[in-house]
This record gives sequence, structure tokens and C-alpha cells, in this order.
Amino acid sequence: MRILLAEDEKDLSRALKAILEHSKYAVDAVYDGQEAVKYASENAYDAMILDIMMPRLDGVSALKQIRASGNYTPALFLTAKAEIDDRIAGLDAGADDYLTKPFAMGELLARVRSMTRRAGTYTVKKLKIGSVALDTSEQELSCENSIRLASKETKLMEYFMTNAGKPLSTDEIFNHVWAEDEQADPKIVFMYISFLRSKIRAVNGDIEISGSEGETYVLRSVSGGDVN
Amino acid sequence: MNGIYGEYKPVLEEIKNDFQRRIEEYTEQEYQKSGIKIYEHLISRVKSEESMSEKCRRKNLPETPDSALMEMHDSIGLRIVCSFIEDIYTNIRYIKSFPDCRIVDEKDYIRHAKPNGYRSYHMILEVQYPYADLCGNNPGKYYVEIQLRTIAMDSWAALEHKLKYKKNVANQELIIAELKRCADEMASCDVSMQTIRDLITGTEE
Repeated sequence: MRILLAEDEKDLSRALKAILEHSKYAVDAVYDGQEAVKYASENAYDAMILDIMMPRLDGVSALKQIRASGNYTPALFLTAKAEIDDRIAGLDAGADDYLTKPFAMGELLARVRSMTRRAGTYTVKKLKIGSVALDTSEQELSCENSIRLASKETKLMEYFMTNAGKPLSTDEIFNHVWAEDEQADPKIVFMYISFLRSKIRAVNGDIEISGSEGETYVLRSVSGGDVN
Repeated sequence: MNGIYGEYKPVLEEIKNDFQRRIEEYTEQEYQKSGIKIYEHLISRVKSEESMSEKCRRKNLPETPDSALMEMHDSIGLRIVCSFIEDIYTNIRYIKSFPDCRIVDEKDYIRHAKPNGYRSYHMILEVQYPYADLCGNNPGKYYVEIQLRTIAMDSWAALEHKLKYKKNVANQELIIAELKRCADEMASCDVSMQTIRDLITGTEE
């Protein structure tokens, strides 16, 4: 799983990064709110950890911008003990949890685990990229025609649509979609991408998933839906 | 002979049998080449004179051979039912290569499904046959309708047909909605089966 860490105190950032990486998370560390917005728009994360007081753009404003772009990645704020107003503003801006400094590392890791477990419940039910719509509760993909998707296909399509335009590696996809399935083999990723590609064609969709087997994939809109 | 087809009834039977034979022939040829049987079953019929008369009446046309053979295009009908979606398009390529046939109309309800979920490929062909037609052309011109679909599409269409011709079905709107959902689920299976076949044979890049 991949985490975006926005914390301007270099020492704390370094310590957090080391501990998260020790727990097998991939971590992108940034040091201000503007960078956080930029990274969130370019990469797919499973969780975000944001400090509130940061230079250039504070954490609350950064999260507001991230949420406004349709990004519902679980987010946790780090706040100073006295800042009750900040905690309220942070939760109202779309944060899922907060932790007051100083905190125990064990608690931070437990909260990250808890957030990523619940990730699915935060996403919107209806997504749209180009003219292609996905209804996650009905598991229906539609454009000119409509077609039903299997549950893993729906989860994969949802992951692509909430991260449209961002490159997603086979590993990231596998860890996100097949996280709870211990028997799964990463080779399944390409097979499901093949299913989605044919189903996007079957509804005459104006989007495509580019990328070769075992590599990085990107979902993008294309002009001209019908490719008879 | 005072049925709606008049003297043409045997000709229609002959054209139907000839088409059936040609489809069986290219299917055998394709099987020798690729090992794939590109249709699962094939049915053909000449529309009964009673249904043809009834259809002309419904459309306010005189019940004459001219209406039945020139205005209507489905006196001769064939249905090709395939295991896989791509097999449908292979059949279409063979049919389009018939030298004595002209495609008058074709509708791809597979790529462009009807709102109720109906999926099939329809073609109307104009074929030449060495028997003078009503306009005096010799060889004469006759129409043949061909429908192509997968087994899943075929069983769906059979059920939908039952609904269409039964009056006062309980919970009709609910049934229509659920039939649509079934059509989309069956289409999903058809597409997945095709994708798996492509992955096995290595044609999926």
C-alpha cells in the first residue's frame, strides 16, 4: 500500500517514513500543502497523512482541494494538542481521522490499518469518466450499451476511475483489489484488465486502459467512442 | 397454388436449402483451417404463408406475391447461433464474400444493443437465383434475412419473445427490468468467454 505523507518538520517526516516503510508501506514524503495536492493528483494512494500547520498551503485547505477533485482516499490529520478548532475544520474538510501530537507510533499504524480497511465505504456509488459510467452498487458499466461486471471487475474499474490519468503499477493494483485474497496470484491483474478492456469495448466506451502485461496501466478518455 | 407466395413457394425452399448448404460448407472449410466450429446450430425456414399474409395485412399491404417477396424481406430466414461473439463476425465475413449477394441492410445490435437488452446481428441480403422474379429479372433477385447471435443471446431472445406475445403478464415492468439485467449479465459472460479464449490462444495482446 502506498501512503502520501505531508509533514513539514523534516525530522518527524524522516522518522514517520522509516517506520511506515518498516511496516511495508511505500511512502511519498512531501513538505507543504501545495506539494500534497500535486502528488495526490498524480499518484494513487491508499491513505494520506497530513500535518495541519504547513508552509505555502495548510493541511485543511490542501485536503479540501484534494476532495474537490473527486479524490476520496482515506486521510488522517496530525494536529497539535490545543488545536480543537483545527480538528473540527480538518474532519469537516473530509478527513477520516486525526491524531494529536505527540502520538505513539503504534497508534498511528493502527489508525492507518483501520482507515485502509474501511476504504471501500467512502467512495461514491456512481463514477463517470468520458461518457462511461460505473454504478458500483449495481455493478453496472454503461455508455451506449450497459453490461454487468463481476465484483472484482467492479472494484478494479472503480480503482481506475477514481485514479483516471494516473499510472497504476501491477503491484499497486494487485494490492488494492486483491488485498484480502491470500490465494490470488498477481498474474490475475492482466486477465482482469483484459476483461475490462473487452467490456469497455462492448458498451462502446470512449475510455481506454493502456499498458502491457505486468507493467503500469493508465485509464484515459479517448475521442470517438465507436471503433467498429 | 393460391397461397401468398403463388408459384414462388418452391423457389423460396430451394434458395433456403442452398443457403443452408453454403453456410455448412464454409463452416466445414473454417473447421479444417482453424479447428473452430463457427456455429453451434443453424436453423432455416420459409415463413409460413399464413404468417406472411397476416404480416401484410398488419402493414396494410395487399396479400400478393409482390408484397411477400418484394416489400417484405424475411420470407426466407436463417439463424446462425454461435458459441463465441467473434465467431459471429467470422460468419459475417464469409457471408459478405458470397459473390452473388448484395447486402441491402445490416444492423449490429451486438455493438449497439436495443434499449430492452436485445443483442443480435441482422442482415438482409439480395441474392440472385436462376429463376425469373416478379420484375422479370433472370436470374431473379430474392431477399434472405440472416440473424446471427450467441447461444446466450438466443436463449434470452426466446424468453423475451414469450413475454412479447403473452398478454397480462403479472409484474410486467419488474420483469422487463430484470430481463434487461439478465441481458447485460449474459453479455458480460459472452465477453468474458471470448476474452478467455483470446488469452488461451494468445490473440489478446
